[in-house]
Amino acid sequence: MIANRIETPASPSTPMDKWEVQLRKGCLELAILASLWPGRLYGLEILRLLEQDSDLVITEGTVYPLLSRLKAEGLLDSEWVEADAGHPRKYYRLTPAGRRRVAAMGRIWSRFSASLNQLLSRVLKEEK
Amino acid sequence: MLQPKDPAQKIELYLKQVRSGLRNLPEPQVADILQELRSHILERAQSDGTLSDAATDAALQSLGRPQEVASLYVAENFMARAESSRTPWMVLRGVFLWAMLSLKGFLVFAVCLIGYAFGASFFIAALAKPFNPQAVGLWVSDQNSFSLMLGMTDSPRHGHELLGWFLIPIGCSLGGGTILLTTHFGLWCIRRFRRARATLGLGGAGD
Repeated sequence: MIANRIETPASPSTPMDKWEVQLRKGCLELAILASLWPGRLYGLEILRLLEQDSDLVITEGTVYPLLSRLKAEGLLDSEWVEADAGHPRKYYRLTPAGRRRVAAMGRIWSRFSASLNQLLSRVLKEEK
Repeated sequence: MLQPKDPAQKIELYLKQVRSGLRNLPEPQVADILQELRSHILERAQSDGTLSDAATDAALQSLGRPQEVASLYVAENFMARAESSRTPWMVLRGVFLWAMLSLKGFLVFAVCLIGYAFGASFFIAALAKPFNPQAVGLWVSDQNSFSLMLGMTDSPRHGHELLGWFLIPIGCSLGGGTILLTTHFGLWCIRRFRRARATLGLGGAGD
């Protein structure tokens, strides 16, 4: 089951658990938008991609309301496509505004994580 | 209630429960949501075109409780509208929805309601002043106890009015300022709430 693979605490109890959950929350929107950068995907494909390429997986029933909100904000477009599977699939793609948003978020993330990694490198080196 | 045995019946019962939680949304949107969830469940549960019982159960379990899924849709929808319209009415509706989900939401709703009532009473007093200048005002009691009363009174025998005609500009700016501040407060809370709700699957902390 996809949602169970990640080792996120089910009910965060310690301050460290809570901190980790908060950290992941902050990255979720960026991860979903980034997963759509190469092209259109449907909901389950997004979930599988997040499972495969990141440590960020949300409960399956949570991704659809989130996609719905990103669409309402004009960051995503969607279309129904008939599939061989016998049922149609709803595909999402980034709008021009969505591409601009994810590029801007990516730049901020990259700058921030690089400076934090530099700061943490001493801590991690000395801890070894 | 009889438990459905057939996997297709289980899916339809699940979607029916989601639908009952989506009452506040327009029908075309509800139909779209249910179609997408049905597509997701079939994608997860079907193997070689057939639905197995165990795979259907697993797919439904992975999606989460139908009421919870529906409440996320409703919350996202109303709060997105509240954020885009930024009108007091939409903010109140968004916060009201949250109030039905948690105690924190109820407290925020109560604060917003009081804020809007306070702002509106200043506005109404300012608007009513020209029509009845003798009765409308900010009254302070002349008796031992200190008390203020904003509004209209028939017999202000034991008090005197503080603002006079200044009630109009002061009432308009205080009323407008309070309504603006309450709207900003409501939207700020809504944004925090949405960030917490959108990622319940990560552990559910935050609200």
